[in-house]
Amino acid sequence: MNKRTIQLHLGLGACAACLFMILYAIPYWISAPSNMRNIVLSPRFWPYAIAGLTGLVGLGILFTNRKSEADDAPVNDPIEDPGAGLIRLAGMAVLMAVTFWLLPRIGMVWASMLAFASLAFLVKTRHPKTALICAVLVPLLLYGFFAHVAGVAIPQGEYVRLP
Amino acid sequence: MSMIDSILAGLALVGNVEALVSLAIGIVIGVIGGAIPGISATMAVALTLPFTFPMQPINGILMLLGVYKGGIFGGSIPAILIKTPGTPASSATVLDGHPMAARGEAGRALGMALWASCTADVISNLALILFAGWLASFALSFGPPEFFALILFSLTIIAGVSGESLLRGALAALLGLLLATIGLDLVYGTNRFTFGDPNLMGGLNFIAVLIGLFAIPEVINMVWHPTGHMGKVQTLGSKWVTFADYKRCFRSIVRGSFIGVFLGAIPGIGAAPAAFLSYSEARRKSPNKANFGKGEIEGVAASEAGNNGVAGATLIPLLALGVPGDVITAIIIGAFMVHGLQPGPMMFVMNVDIIYGLFIGLIFSSGLLFIVGGLAIRGFKPVADIPKRILMPIVLVLCIYGVFAVNNNIFDVGVMFVMGWVGFFMSRYHIPAAPFLIAFILGPLLEDNFRKSMLMSGGSPDVLLRGPITWFFWALTLIAVVAIARGTLDKARDKG
Amino acid sequence: MKLRQLGAVCAMGLGLTATAALAEYPERPINMVIPYGAGGATDISARTIAEPLGTVVGKPLVMSNITGAGGATGSVAVQNAKGDGYTMLFARVGSHTVNPAMKATLPYTLDDFRFVTVYEINPVACAVRPDSGIETIEDLIALTESEGSSYSSSGVGSMLHLAAVMVLDEFGVENPLDKAIHIPQGGGGEAATAVLNGTVTFICTNTSALANFVANGQLKPILVTTAEPVPGFDAPTAVDLGKPDLTQLVGWTGIAGPDDLPDDVAAKWGEWMTAAAGDPKFVEQMSAMGSVINVMSPEEANAFIQTQYETFRALVDKLGMRIEG
Repeated sequence: MNKRTIQLHLGLGACAACLFMILYAIPYWISAPSNMRNIVLSPRFWPYAIAGLTGLVGLGILFTNRKSEADDAPVNDPIEDPGAGLIRLAGMAVLMAVTFWLLPRIGMVWASMLAFASLAFLVKTRHPKTALICAVLVPLLLYGFFAHVAGVAIPQGEYVRLP
Repeated sequence: MSMIDSILAGLALVGNVEALVSLAIGIVIGVIGGAIPGISATMAVALTLPFTFPMQPINGILMLLGVYKGGIFGGSIPAILIKTPGTPASSATVLDGHPMAARGEAGRALGMALWASCTADVISNLALILFAGWLASFALSFGPPEFFALILFSLTIIAGVSGESLLRGALAALLGLLLATIGLDLVYGTNRFTFGDPNLMGGLNFIAVLIGLFAIPEVINMVWHPTGHMGKVQTLGSKWVTFADYKRCFRSIVRGSFIGVFLGAIPGIGAAPAAFLSYSEARRKSPNKANFGKGEIEGVAASEAGNNGVAGATLIPLLALGVPGDVITAIIIGAFMVHGLQPGPMMFVMNVDIIYGLFIGLIFSSGLLFIVGGLAIRGFKPVADIPKRILMPIVLVLCIYGVFAVNNNIFDVGVMFVMGWVGFFMSRYHIPAAPFLIAFILGPLLEDNFRKSMLMSGGSPDVLLRGPITWFFWALTLIAVVAIARGTLDKARDKG
Repeated sequence: MKLRQLGAVCAMGLGLTATAALAEYPERPINMVIPYGAGGATDISARTIAEPLGTVVGKPLVMSNITGAGGATGSVAVQNAKGDGYTMLFARVGSHTVNPAMKATLPYTLDDFRFVTVYEINPVACAVRPDSGIETIEDLIALTESEGSSYSSSGVGSMLHLAAVMVLDEFGVENPLDKAIHIPQGGGGEAATAVLNGTVTFICTNTSALANFVANGQLKPILVTTAEPVPGFDAPTAVDLGKPDLTQLVGWTGIAGPDDLPDDVAAKWGEWMTAAAGDPKFVEQMSAMGSVINVMSPEEANAFIQTQYETFRALVDKLGMRIEG
């Protein structure tokens, strides 16, 4: 991606978001009472203003992009194997989703241990043993601190409860 | 009772070891709590509160104030070391503090954060002692129209933290404003973008958004490019802050402290906007403008001065009016009440010894903060040496615990994860995170005060210009906007 | 070595769960949800009772503030929790009578909870600025009828919102929604500040939130909604003014569990609360804030809440205040 492409994407994205907000999201997802005294007091007034400004900024980005000269230098540092990178990103997304799903079910401590270990594995750490030890100890230590020092009800899950 | 008598009576109250020890313990708790993301200064104060009930009133209150001040400083430690603001007030510190750490200058950044915090603390305490009455009556003249004008002006900070492109900064800000509309409508109580989910009705939790936006993208970025950090040194570094650094940043520190005092005295603004405003002012005035956001030590100094300047000043409305300026002082007011003290004008008559005792204690607090803070920086030193691929999972787990603890709600962990992806894509598209955050904080204030003003006036816009304070801020806003427009045009001309 | 440790920890955990079924309630800490933020009236009340209550219960009580949406977020967390007595809620007038009466889209109803007690009642007082020229409630009504007035609250559907409307309605103002403008604020503290700085004319809220300002002479009380005068508040009572119906308008704090809370757990809570609320230090601290300590049995609590809900609901329906969106 060079600078022109990201500007183009952003400009088009902002305009699309603006249209979506004005035509669909605001009328359907914000309820306004029928007995309103003044239009500026409507719950929809502010989101409409934001959506309108987003559209303007989008147009602005597209306009300045047309004027600026071509610059093909990529804007982000290249990585060795983008394909593997994307797979790792997908793995991270799954990791987060699974962790979130597990949190109330098996409890925060066990879910964090799994998340820690799988993340360390995902990025191929050079210290696998340290990582495993930390994966067990860090959530336990944090549990001890938050539950017993700070008095926070850390979710315990339905299976194995810690004291 | 004359002034001297009052001071002597105050000295009699705090001139003992117990008072100083409780203050010091408070600062230690605060620094540690502030340094753990999710505990934050607010929670540290709330957790300490019950322990102060059996203490002497003055000692208990001094301990809580110590926690508050320590917490605001402590937040800068993880902000610099692991790009995770420990407390919302230190989010501005991330902007330059973390790039410095990435360069191997974490020690210098932390040292400057400490020096700036302590200086601002002194200024803030002096302002409290000298101008409490005057500033309090000034703060009380802030109704919704005045707030609206002030916040509109504060939004011009966005231009200062937008980085390379003002338009992309504006886009980030608009996204922040939009996400801030989620929740129940202020005036009618109707649902906005909540999809019937009770968790969304309360709006997105600010800390979940904040940590999601700063810390999680770092984790995702490492997943995308696990070896990207190789070759870059991330250690505390041998470089320590020098007196020359301090002297160079002194003007920014003083300016930031006054911004903090001013915004702290007005109830309802809080420390995060003060830090950002101070940062953007420092950037505007600095000869090293271009270096801001890339690890400029003056940026760290200005942010920390801004947020610590607030800490003493929020006591102004608290003591003089009995009005809490933010969540933390709302908790501290509880401590006053438990001890049968009623903050407000009468307290300056009935409990003047306690007032002066507090003032004297506060003067000591800056010095104690300097000592405790210096020790804490050394204590957290090992964090900088943890290998990055071990550190990032630790950060992830820490954020999960911390974000949950803020509101005891697992949903917030989900918000943090989603915001992490938003933050990651924003960084891929070079959209700055700071304008998003500022807009997310100030957006609801701006909208609410606009609509409150409209309610007051029955829909007539005249009320927005109702007095000299509003005129002043509208004028400032105009000047800022003109300056931004001229700056942008100049930049465009230089290029073309 | 590490694995063995982990195994030991797991075994310990399993051991604990295995005994759970046999042991008598409570065998582990109880999570007490406070649906409002730290420093507020509910929070102070909850944390004050927690001390004697913890001693009586014998297991730690873990206080969790789950804030948002005027108490709804925290209430829903308890509504969805298992009815095993390990997740209980500090219910408050705002979250459990005013909100259900006013909000059609609220994700819970009163039937989703089982109340074990109401232990504290806070009188409500209305106050104005001393220099506003308003001396009595009649002055306020006259001003509302002639020029119109305004009042602040801690949000739409809060007790403060309904209280102001109810007082105006009781004193004969027709269409109070049009004549008095509601200017909602972000919280109870901000609502009081709005009166102080002249943004609004008056506020009706719990005496505990006003006591400080009244003692300092910054606000002047013009009405308290109890039958007996409230110490420190130099204002006529609702009964003195011939409006006994206004005595329904009081704040309260109670404890509730999910609706499937077992009978034996509810009974335990009844005993605990009677014992805990007798603690002289607790009574003294709460009385200092203007609260009346009165532990109700589950039946009394349910009847009390139901009556208040119906009073509020009738007013809301009469004035068309219900929020449908």
